[in-house]
Amino acid sequence: MEFDLENPLTDFHEPHSDTITSLFLVESDHMPSENYLQSLQATDFGIFVRQQTISSISKFSCNFDPLLSYLAVNYLDRFLSSQGMLQPKPWVLRLLAISCISLAAKMKKTEFSLADFQGDGGFIFDTQTMERMEILILGALKWRMRSITPFSFISYFISLFKVEDPSLRQALKARATEIIFKAQNDIKLLEFKPSVIAASALLSAAHELLPLQYPCFRSATSNCSYVNKEELLQCFKEMQEIVIDGYESVLEMVSSSVTTVNVLDQKFSSSESEKTNGTFTTMRPERDIKRRKIIDYCGNLTVQISRIPQY
Amino acid sequence: MEKYEKLEKVGEGTYGKVYKAKDKESGEVVALKKTRLEMDEEGVPPTALREVSLLQMLSQSLYVVRLLCVEHCVNKHGKPLLYLVFEYLETDLKKFIDSHRKGANPRPLPPALVQSFLYQLCKGVAHCHSHGVLHRDLKPQNLLVDKDRGILKIADLGLGRAFTVPLKSYTHEIVTLWYRAPEVLLGSTHYSTGVDIWSVGCIFAEMVRRQALFPGDSEFQQLLHIFRLLGTPTESQWPGVSSLRDWHVYPQWEPQNLARAVPSLGPDGIDLLTKMLKYDPADRISAKAALDHPYFDGLDKSQF
Repeated sequence: MEFDLENPLTDFHEPHSDTITSLFLVESDHMPSENYLQSLQATDFGIFVRQQTISSISKFSCNFDPLLSYLAVNYLDRFLSSQGMLQPKPWVLRLLAISCISLAAKMKKTEFSLADFQGDGGFIFDTQTMERMEILILGALKWRMRSITPFSFISYFISLFKVEDPSLRQALKARATEIIFKAQNDIKLLEFKPSVIAASALLSAAHELLPLQYPCFRSATSNCSYVNKEELLQCFKEMQEIVIDGYESVLEMVSSSVTTVNVLDQKFSSSESEKTNGTFTTMRPERDIKRRKIIDYCGNLTVQISRIPQY
Repeated sequence: MEKYEKLEKVGEGTYGKVYKAKDKESGEVVALKKTRLEMDEEGVPPTALREVSLLQMLSQSLYVVRLLCVEHCVNKHGKPLLYLVFEYLETDLKKFIDSHRKGANPRPLPPALVQSFLYQLCKGVAHCHSHGVLHRDLKPQNLLVDKDRGILKIADLGLGRAFTVPLKSYTHEIVTLWYRAPEVLLGSTHYSTGVDIWSVGCIFAEMVRRQALFPGDSEFQQLLHIFRLLGTPTESQWPGVSSLRDWHVYPQWEPQNLARAVPSLGPDGIDLLTKMLKYDPADRISAKAALDHPYFDGLDKSQF
């Protein structure tokens, strides 16, 4: 039975309240230690090691489900946080990246052959070396490989929103998923619990997609007894910066590359949707552009992006 | 494995030998379980990885035996092996019940202890089920007991999923059928949480009786034991039973009074047992619902 990030406590039926409670209880065991960020910043090469290894992971796993690379990076962060910083030798980082992907692929029952990654960058690792690295990671992570990630909490938090329309729920989930992927690379978000990341990502998505209902979602989320309001607020704020960051650079890119005709087309479709349904203040052109940017950002990671439904 | 000093072989688990051992550094006594999941060409085998991490997740419960760590070593043929290191409990429920049946001082298990053990067992089973895991081989040998503290914990968990329910154990000892649910015996392939509840029911009765409720020695005999006490199941009480793969025509027995099989058990206990031994798995009480059954009303649940 493979490991499903959205449903880490493999339930037979729908997740019930006990399962949710268990998730919140043990999520801290599945994140880097509190002083991880500090230790990354303590040496000249900490951030570099993390970035290099993440980019190897992204490169090697680009043809797979993006959740695979998410899981591999989760292993990486937890490993680095418990082992202390590694020397930034290229072969060590390469071995670490491949081992994290290999473990993630085994957990997710993804067909994967180590041979596919051999030779890249001039490194060939023998089975024993790979195995030793895997064992080292497993030991450091105490074999807790069924990581509880933000994806484990998405359905729960969406259910608090009480959104009736399944296509809207889908849109919120898709946008939140994009934000979660993006947030994993940002070291400022490393200290937040998976549940807080999930809640913030959904609120950010709601803020963009359903601005009128946003206050309502926000209070529903902060009233949830499992969530620490201050943490949520702080995480949401940090996350807005990432979201807006991408957004601004997108606008720059847009102004130089998008033709006038395209912009006009988008304006037109936007005003049309406002006419047909006055409830939502749509900002479609910008959002579409931002969406495109995210696709670019993820490169060939092929993040599943579902289109925003017509309101 | 130099970290541990093997003290004695304490058993043959369904999936391999189990040793009592001492951590040389801390002095802690542990149970070492050698897995037969050997390494392959692609590093740590995927099944071992998934099973052990599942076990790791489940062992967070007080009512599941705790997996302390996983040791990786090399056997005498130079093959890498995995050892699972568990907390050590001195006895199991089988030995505990035996000590009350035979020996110098045969006596019933105190009713309050039966109640407490059953509650802890239901807690552990509810925990596994809420994590989507079936045990599938619950039996008194798999329930470890700390006599002095009155604690019961589920063992031999998780590793079952990569394999089917074993017919022969590692040592070719016949695996006991006594706790096996009728749907499994009848060849159903879509069984669920009910299989564990059936076993819990059998174990409950055995704690009260001090002997097995259905001691069959073949799958067929096992079914006859069940049918003789509970009556031959009918389509009306268990829709679909006669379409199960291994269903045959059986003698038609009428259900007996279950209370006669467990004479010392009060009406609440009988009611709970009846609900655990329902033929239709869909009618069987869930572990979580069992925790709220009136049978446990007299129990101080705050201690759990």
